[in-house]
Amino acid sequence: MLKSTNKLGIIFFPAFDWAISPTHPERQERLLYTQDQLREEGIFDIEGVREYKPDVADIEDVERVHFCFPDVPGVATRSHLISAGGAMKAADLVMQGERDNAFAMVRPPGHHAMKVVHGSRGFCTINIEAVMIEHIREQYGHKRVAIVDTDCHHGDGSQDVYWHDPDTLFISLHQDGRTLYPGTGFPSELGGPNARGRTINIPLPPHTSDEGFLMAMERIVMPILEDFKPDLIINSAGQDNHFTDPITNMNFSARGYAALNEMLKPDIAVLEGGYSIQGALPYINLGICLAMAGVDYSHVMEPNYNAERIRQDKRTTEYIEELCRQLPKLYFDPPPFKPSDDSRHGLLSGDTFIRHKQIYYDTDGINEVQQETVTVCPNCRGLYKVETRADSGPLCLGVEIPINACPKCRAKGYKTLEDAQIKGTYRYMQLINRLDKEYLRYGF
Amino acid sequence: MLLGIDVGGTHTDAVAIDTADGVRVAASCKVATRHDDLLSSVTEALETILGKVDKNAVSQLNLSTTLSTNAIVQGKTEDVGVIVSSGPGIDPHNFMPCRDFHVIDGSIDHRGNEVRALAPRQLSEAIDACRKNGVRVYASVGKFSTRNPRHENYIRRMVCNCVDESVCEYADFVTLGHQLGGALNFPRRVATAYFNCAVWRLYNQFATAVEKALKDMGLAHVKVNILKADGGTMPLSQSRKMPVQSIFSGPAASVMGIIALTDIFHDSVILDIGGTTTDIAVFASGSPLIEREGIDIGSHPTLVTALKVHSIGIGGDSAISVSGPGGKQDVRVGPSRLGPSVCLGGDHVTLTDALNCINACRVGDVQKSRAAIDAFAAAHSMRPDDLAEAAVARASDSILNATRELLDEINSKPVYTIHELIQGKKIVPKKVYLMGGPAQALKQHLFSRFQLSTEVPDNFDVANAIGAALTRTTWELEVFADTQRHVLFIPSLSYRENIPTRYCLDDAKKDAVNQLVMHLDSLGVMLKAENAEITHASSFNMIEDMEQVGRNIRVKAQVRPGVVKTFGTGK
Repeated sequence: MLKSTNKLGIIFFPAFDWAISPTHPERQERLLYTQDQLREEGIFDIEGVREYKPDVADIEDVERVHFCFPDVPGVATRSHLISAGGAMKAADLVMQGERDNAFAMVRPPGHHAMKVVHGSRGFCTINIEAVMIEHIREQYGHKRVAIVDTDCHHGDGSQDVYWHDPDTLFISLHQDGRTLYPGTGFPSELGGPNARGRTINIPLPPHTSDEGFLMAMERIVMPILEDFKPDLIINSAGQDNHFTDPITNMNFSARGYAALNEMLKPDIAVLEGGYSIQGALPYINLGICLAMAGVDYSHVMEPNYNAERIRQDKRTTEYIEELCRQLPKLYFDPPPFKPSDDSRHGLLSGDTFIRHKQIYYDTDGINEVQQETVTVCPNCRGLYKVETRADSGPLCLGVEIPINACPKCRAKGYKTLEDAQIKGTYRYMQLINRLDKEYLRYGF
Repeated sequence: MLLGIDVGGTHTDAVAIDTADGVRVAASCKVATRHDDLLSSVTEALETILGKVDKNAVSQLNLSTTLSTNAIVQGKTEDVGVIVSSGPGIDPHNFMPCRDFHVIDGSIDHRGNEVRALAPRQLSEAIDACRKNGVRVYASVGKFSTRNPRHENYIRRMVCNCVDESVCEYADFVTLGHQLGGALNFPRRVATAYFNCAVWRLYNQFATAVEKALKDMGLAHVKVNILKADGGTMPLSQSRKMPVQSIFSGPAASVMGIIALTDIFHDSVILDIGGTTTDIAVFASGSPLIEREGIDIGSHPTLVTALKVHSIGIGGDSAISVSGPGGKQDVRVGPSRLGPSVCLGGDHVTLTDALNCINACRVGDVQKSRAAIDAFAAAHSMRPDDLAEAAVARASDSILNATRELLDEINSKPVYTIHELIQGKKIVPKKVYLMGGPAQALKQHLFSRFQLSTEVPDNFDVANAIGAALTRTTWELEVFADTQRHVLFIPSLSYRENIPTRYCLDDAKKDAVNQLVMHLDSLGVMLKAENAEITHASSFNMIEDMEQVGRNIRVKAQVRPGVVKTFGTGK
């Protein structure tokens, strides 16, 4: 009987009774063929591979990460809480030593969900990786975490959640934002003034194939990880870089995904996007499972795979080689934050960083405007405050006291909240105090 | 009159049950099992029973036999040519069950589309190699053959293209993977098909011998069924093609016996406490639970469905041992068995000896038990009563803990819909049924631990044979319909039909039940349509380019394991 090198836990939750809408890509059928393939391969019979049921995330697990307005039940359904709970279960299995690594094959995805949530964008409502990571930090201590996002779309939500966090390294490999939703993820996006170089974006040109992905992994991602020395590596395992994906333009293959995971050795992988549900997902998920389990994946192949037909051209290779020369500097020697006059990029007013953002929720058709401020503090990550309004809705406030807050920033957090209650015109207010594990909301 | 025979490891138990007026055990007997000549044990048991009842009144014989199990354990199997079409995925050589194993290029995908035809030259070379090695039985297995059996059928035609297998020049028997059931699991399909072939000849010789013996005894009119591990039976004629299904039917016979002897309608735990092991089974709302995928044979997981029975190494003959420093000794029971109990002439103290000492039972020579426990306690500077009580307590605790673990495992089984996850039904036992030698003696101790109503049914010593006698035929089938490809396929029946675009889940459910009834009818088993139940039904809209292009429908129907009549007194 086949035995795996690593003890792999798989949380398989296809949510066979949930869809965004009947013909939406994020629908009941999405993981059906993946399930067929995994079963037919007998993957759960491999000694060392075990399937688990997801947990269900509590409201508090979400409130530890997000400012949800009006509240968590108002934006998230049970399916979102189960999806996040599936990722949390994966984390618990690894953190408690029951498994060497774990793959949460859950839906719906989460990497487009930002710090503030008014609704759903890019099929995502709750950032399931962020909910998982903060659950880990709450339960098992403050870990250094690296997220490597291999979804074809820029993980703008995860980037936003961890923009100011120097202890979370976020690296996104994706199709160049000039050619694909959400239109962000350029190398100049490097993280806030307190966390420069902790956000690294690797925009790859359309039609990048296995060669280009693995080159970027080898020359950019792996050296950075080696230096960052994370306690945990998370793969946001989107599968839409596949050559058959209907809504993207890349040429990555199932075996390529497997090789990527073999190189990355993630402690936890979490399924993100990927909508070629027949031609890609069954094979990529199989490849990732085998690679994580340490079982030979060299016989995994899509029915219509043809290496020659999807091979990237010479120009693409040269372009990626150039990226590989340029991008590591952004981590190892990030250019200091240069305040500009443009408040969309952020400006400094005394010791406060201010940024204005406009966010469009494509799935729900919501337009959000927000002003984000962060204290640039020499002793901690600084107090985070966000004022936000969705369309013509009421003004809302979010305040976060970071996990390593200094007494001054902590006091300032409570003062901000108090002032807002007395003088402010906020309809809803939420406090995340990671230091004392206190989570409050007002405005019901 | 219904006869039941359970060929067990030590004894062969037989009963005759009179169902003319209620249910009653008309005769029963126990004879020794002779593993080298199972037929003689069966005929001896039959003759003993027929000495007590009128043979003309006998209408049916249900037989549970260890023949296939033993053949595999003892390696008395035949060489099999295993020819597979696997396509991409995990390297099939990881599941190679035997020497004559050949992988042929070709693949079928998860929807049942042929991606690549089977390579004919490779196939004929593989078959030639098998023939050269003198192989006469073949397993033909394809990945996703339960979606489309094309490759398996092709292999079969190449191996043996005769109309009648019995006269084929090259092969005596071919197992087609998809006929083993509709479940998706290629490695299990390979292993199951292999074992089915490996025991085929031996099993058929046995079946023929049984038929002849019955004829010689004047029982030619009796209908013979063979027990399966899932708590059901199959007609003897059917079992000749599916001998692998007769494996591990012993525990199932005991569980079905409990159903016959009691009226189970709650979530319950069944503990069959034997000599060396305790078998734990769980009932949900009165029905026994079935192993989700299938049992392992040797180290090979298979598709053979079985009742979920968990065995632990605690029984009446389990040896007592003591470890740890004085004053804090740890008294253990099992898992080893060092011969019979002292009271029955053994020389190592056992659980039964401990039970004798605390006056929970009187088995064999109680004085011998006392003396042996006294000596054993003295050797470990303990008081004899403390030792005996600690041993019984340890055994009871172990059984309780193992039961808890089993329940946790069952209750944490993965589900795939939000509805099931949120509304998830949990099994919470309300009752414990005990059977086996030490059952009565351990009753109070187990009751105090489980804190649940605990019952030891009458006739529990021949429950296995009673279960065998009264068990009814089970069968299951899966319907797979794809309205985009306009096909319906029932793997276990090799039945394929074209369906219209409007074919829906309700049509599939009706077809599943009809096919189940028709198939059992063809085996001579009358089944009312209401006894067939749908155990799984799902329909997925298939979308391409934001348009619905069809439905992907899966339905599973079965006749649940059950008994034809019960002794239930409603207590």
